[in-house]
Amino acid sequence: MEMFDLIAVMAKILFVIAISLGVIPFLVWFERRGSAWMQGRVGPNRIGPFGLLQTTADVIKFVCKEDFVPKNANKFFYHMAPTVALVAPLCAMAVIPFGSYLVLGDHTVNLQIANMNTGVIFILAFAGLEVYPIILAGWASNNKYSVLGALRGSAQIVSYEIAMGLALLSMLVVYGSFNPHEMVAWQNETIFGFLPRWGAFVNPIGALVFWIAIFAETNRLPFDLPEGESEIVAGYHLEYGGMKFAAFFMAEYVAMIMASGLISTIYFGGYGFLPGMQTILNLATEYFSLGVAGVQNVKALLEFTSFFSKVSFFMFVFVWVRWTLPRFRFDQLMDLGWKILFPLSLINLILVTLGVYFLN
Amino acid sequence: MGTVNISRKYTATQKTYLWAIFIGMKITFKRLLQGFFLRKNNTIQYPEERRDYSQRFRGMHFISVDKNKTENCTACYLCQTVCPAECIHIIADERDEDNNPDGVKKEKRPLSFDIDALRCCFCGFCEEACPKDAIKLSRNYELAVTTRDDAIYDLDFLKRDVKGRG
Amino acid sequence: MSNTTEIEIKMPKVDLNYSSFKKPVQVSADPAAKPNPKVTIDGKVYDFAPGDTIMQVAERYKIHEEIPRYCYHPGMPIAGSCRMCTVEVEKAPKLMTSCSTPAADGMVVHTRSEKVVKSRTGVMEFLLTNHPLDCPVCDKAGECELQDYNFEYGPMTSNFKEEKRVYEDSTTKKLSDKVTLNMNRCVHCERCVRFTDDVTKTSDLVMLNRGYKKELAAADEERGLFNDYQGCLTDFCPVGALTYNDFRFEKRVWFLEKKASICDRCSKGCNIEVHSEKDVVYRYMPIFNEQVNQHWMCDEGRSSYQSLSNPLRIISPLMKYQDALHSTSIETLLGSISKELQSASSVELVVGTDATCEEAAYLKEKMPEVIKNIRLSYYNGTNNVTTSKDDQKLDNLLRMKDKTANTKGVEETGLTALKNGEVSSEIAILFRSGRAGIPKMKADQKLILWGVWTQEEIKALPSKNILGVIAGLSTIEKIGSFKNTDGILQKFAPAIVHRGNGLSVKSVVSAWKSLK
Repeated sequence: MEMFDLIAVMAKILFVIAISLGVIPFLVWFERRGSAWMQGRVGPNRIGPFGLLQTTADVIKFVCKEDFVPKNANKFFYHMAPTVALVAPLCAMAVIPFGSYLVLGDHTVNLQIANMNTGVIFILAFAGLEVYPIILAGWASNNKYSVLGALRGSAQIVSYEIAMGLALLSMLVVYGSFNPHEMVAWQNETIFGFLPRWGAFVNPIGALVFWIAIFAETNRLPFDLPEGESEIVAGYHLEYGGMKFAAFFMAEYVAMIMASGLISTIYFGGYGFLPGMQTILNLATEYFSLGVAGVQNVKALLEFTSFFSKVSFFMFVFVWVRWTLPRFRFDQLMDLGWKILFPLSLINLILVTLGVYFLN
Repeated sequence: MGTVNISRKYTATQKTYLWAIFIGMKITFKRLLQGFFLRKNNTIQYPEERRDYSQRFRGMHFISVDKNKTENCTACYLCQTVCPAECIHIIADERDEDNNPDGVKKEKRPLSFDIDALRCCFCGFCEEACPKDAIKLSRNYELAVTTRDDAIYDLDFLKRDVKGRG
Repeated sequence: MSNTTEIEIKMPKVDLNYSSFKKPVQVSADPAAKPNPKVTIDGKVYDFAPGDTIMQVAERYKIHEEIPRYCYHPGMPIAGSCRMCTVEVEKAPKLMTSCSTPAADGMVVHTRSEKVVKSRTGVMEFLLTNHPLDCPVCDKAGECELQDYNFEYGPMTSNFKEEKRVYEDSTTKKLSDKVTLNMNRCVHCERCVRFTDDVTKTSDLVMLNRGYKKELAAADEERGLFNDYQGCLTDFCPVGALTYNDFRFEKRVWFLEKKASICDRCSKGCNIEVHSEKDVVYRYMPIFNEQVNQHWMCDEGRSSYQSLSNPLRIISPLMKYQDALHSTSIETLLGSISKELQSASSVELVVGTDATCEEAAYLKEKMPEVIKNIRLSYYNGTNNVTTSKDDQKLDNLLRMKDKTANTKGVEETGLTALKNGEVSSEIAILFRSGRAGIPKMKADQKLILWGVWTQEEIKALPSKNILGVIAGLSTIEKIGSFKNTDGILQKFAPAIVHRGNGLSVKSVVSAWKSLK
């Protein structure tokens, strides 16, 4: 591997981590302010302009808090759980492309940390890892509420992973590839001349199932069953305080970002241009009279903007849904997962497979 | 225990719940826009803004004083008698003749007058029973204290200057 | 705590009423005898004894509870000055004062007719013209006859618009160290003046001036009040003009719980009402007993409640350990003193004459079973009284020379008086209820104290060799009976619950017995 590639990969890793972790404070801020606006309140407005520094204050509080470990906890797994929780979704982000490629002199830089042919499998693998921190945390805390929360959480995630996997599978049938770049490229066409050929338009049921499933996967409302103040206190992270709790807290948001990136890539055209961006590119090319490399770089920038806005939209939807829908009861949750989403995604897979078989 | 089964007819649209979810999302989005652009909210920014309670609001107690800063209380024990929470504790004493410009009306005084605000239920009976209009409930609702001892109001504290309803 | 049920005595029902005429008229069984005269009051016919006034007949039959009165008091001569007790007598031209009108055979009386009520309303309005509205300050409030009758008969409004009369000098005037006068409140019933004239016969209160300026004053300004029954003045004063300093501003009367008991301050055995709240005694008040104390009680007895709540009173068993007395449990104490008693050559138990009859009899019967060869005797030791024969009156009313309550009763159990008033055994057990004197003893006399003691009394003992103190109950905390100086046996029940670890005699003796 050349020195340049190494540096490029390091830079991409840094960029992705910085973006995903750097977005979290704003996301948390928006979660609070946005919920306040939706509910006719004001929300945190004391610290910093518009209360933006509230998260900073929280971080200071988390850092200054006592590093508490319960007496009878399993120390190793207890400390491992928040680490895994934070690392797994961050790793999954490695294969999500946030642009096509940059041209820097003689080199091209693929805007994806690792370009794998098994990209989607990799994502699924790491998304599947998300069940482990919950079980580890719940079991290692040696607290009955934690264990109950962990059991609920793991049951929920495993159940919805099936529906999610099947919905994803239906799209793989459409794309005929595991490679995210190829998926984006496939979606970069139009149907009937005006509608982008996004996965969501080609396979709406799959998109819906997938969307619902990622809510459950990230433990967001209306599927935040692993927690529950009235029943099991804080659930699996009941015994965690200070930065260890903060790690769980951040992990939730990283998982949201990862899930948003995933759904954008697979169902909503990924880094493909949003309508109108091509015009901007053409105008920029004419105005600055760019060369081939320049055009590609501006294109990559616009692609990143497109991807970022899509991800932002889905994150907004995460917050929006959270403050709209009430949470499920556990039996309703299982009903929805096993009796509705699972058969629906299975039927959808068959239909899509038949459709692809006959249309091609 | 009998079970009551209530059955309703749902249409196909209702059964999917998606339309209902969409309506809910619409409402919250509308609220979001209102909150963001119009700053529409019902919050009272507490330490700066205060809710204006009714004139009849019953808050922290005080004892009214006359022009000589002598309490109007004559330790008649009527408030202690009527108090349903038994939170008033009075010890009576003879008032010093020299410090008694109002003569016979005030021959008795409270040596100590303690109100245990932790027990008090703010019913206002003491205020009603008081023949001298001495004990009253102010409109002050900020009763938070840092120690339990502070919640026992003694005579000096009760004789403080109270503005507004006095 | 409570040792109330251990000695079973059937309690006499004590009626808390100042009325002195509760006994029904004796109807002769002989049909030939002349029938009792009859009077009709409020439509009902009542027998009465010749010479009764209408008030006395009404008192006896409790007609409408009572006829309102200010100047009338059953224990004092009739004045007929307040006009509150007026009743309508048919065929009489105007209203008659029931306190001074003798009942006659065939008389028809209405005590609550419209005319009578109107008259009483008028009287109340006149009384209230000058009465200050200082009930919140007044100690009488709650047991004030002016309040009660005003509530019943008084006008709702007053026509009096002028300045109220104020006695500048007698607003809060100390008539003595026991009684405070507030002349503004006085309704001039003169009960107090008649009391000093006719009951105590000291004449130390007089009414000065007349009419609007009529004022109560001590006959001798410098000496003030000097009779020994000043508390009674404050009891029967219908308003708060005379208040008892000891009780002044201590408690509002409606908080007080009232239980009957017997005063143990002298051998008279006055019937009292113990006023307490939450088992803290605030005052004693006399209750009527025709044979014993009439309506009165002396100030000495009245203030004797103070020794109960004396903070120096010993209310927990004390045991000698390293030359000092320490609080302990009764079992430990008895175990420790039992050893001493077994090795002692001679033991004697001196029962104070303030013990109840039951206690004295119980000790006499059971103590020889607990300690062999114990000698028992009783000791009085107050005012040089040895036996009940030494007892004599100190004045013409109630006060007695013997300052213990039950000398006669203890004598009747068969105990003998302590020889020469001096203990002589190696170990002496002194049993007393806080009133009896302390016998003479050697300076190194071994002592066991039992009953009601205070630290002051223990310090004042000639001997410092105290093996232990068994805390007991005082008179109003226990059940029992006293035989007073006139030979009248009076029973009493606990008026308050003992607040401490004191035990009744029976509990101590049974604990002592079970030790072995």
